[in-house]
Amino acid sequence: MIMIRAIIRPEKSDEVLAALMYAGFPAVTKMDVYGRGKQRGMKVGEVIYDELPKELIFTVVREADKDLVIETIMKTARTGTKGAFGDGKIFVSQVEEVYTVSSGIREGEEMSAIALSAT
Amino acid sequence: MSVVSTCRGSDAVKEILAVIRMNKINATKRALADAGISSITARKVMGRGKGKVDYLLLQGAQAGHEEAICQLGPGPKLIPKRMLTIVVPDHVVPKAVRTIIDLNRTGSPGDGKIFVLPVLDTIRVRTGETGDQAIDEMAL
Repeated sequence: MIMIRAIIRPEKSDEVLAALMYAGFPAVTKMDVYGRGKQRGMKVGEVIYDELPKELIFTVVREADKDLVIETIMKTARTGTKGAFGDGKIFVSQVEEVYTVSSGIREGEEMSAIALSAT
Repeated sequence: MSVVSTCRGSDAVKEILAVIRMNKINATKRALADAGISSITARKVMGRGKGKVDYLLLQGAQAGHEEAICQLGPGPKLIPKRMLTIVVPDHVVPKAVRTIIDLNRTGSPGDGKIFVLPVLDTIRVRTGETGDQAIDEMAL
């Protein structure tokens, strides 16, 4: 399983969550974060804001779905036609084990495949 | 002396990310402390699971059918949850996972998920110790 963490604009988060839902990835977690990027924050007049509010959304998906999720987030979180500074970053990391608390079982790649096709 | 070194521990270190119910946090903290795992980080997050979603609708929306997309709506509201971050050595992972599951399991959807991720290195800020020495739970 793969964990995808995306730091996006707060105003884009509803749109991204809806897009993920339509793409078939309902399970996500989001949290408010503050940060800056390689532009060292934002300069407004004399003041430099280097703790810009962002939202971190993270989801854990099967390896095969990785590209689709990244593409979905990328498409919806981008502003303008070419994108702009501050649109965010996506980080991908490996998850070794996944457990569902309500059933207490460890989930594997094949388990979620069954859960998807069962209904 | 270089403070940052590559992972040199004999035992790999794992990060456990657990998303659990808001009202279970105190009991979980206590149980983990009783199990010898005292260092945890907790924060409030918002989330949704696959819970009440009809997979036929999802598949329809995925295939691009307008009706399915309309029925799906903007999706269920996000639910407040607590996320725990625990960094423990490999051999403590089963114990930690079992402790969290035993305590948080009510059997209904929304109990949460636990993810186990690899950690490359650990550094204690106070002393600059790296690897095994920076993990308190090593002796468990």
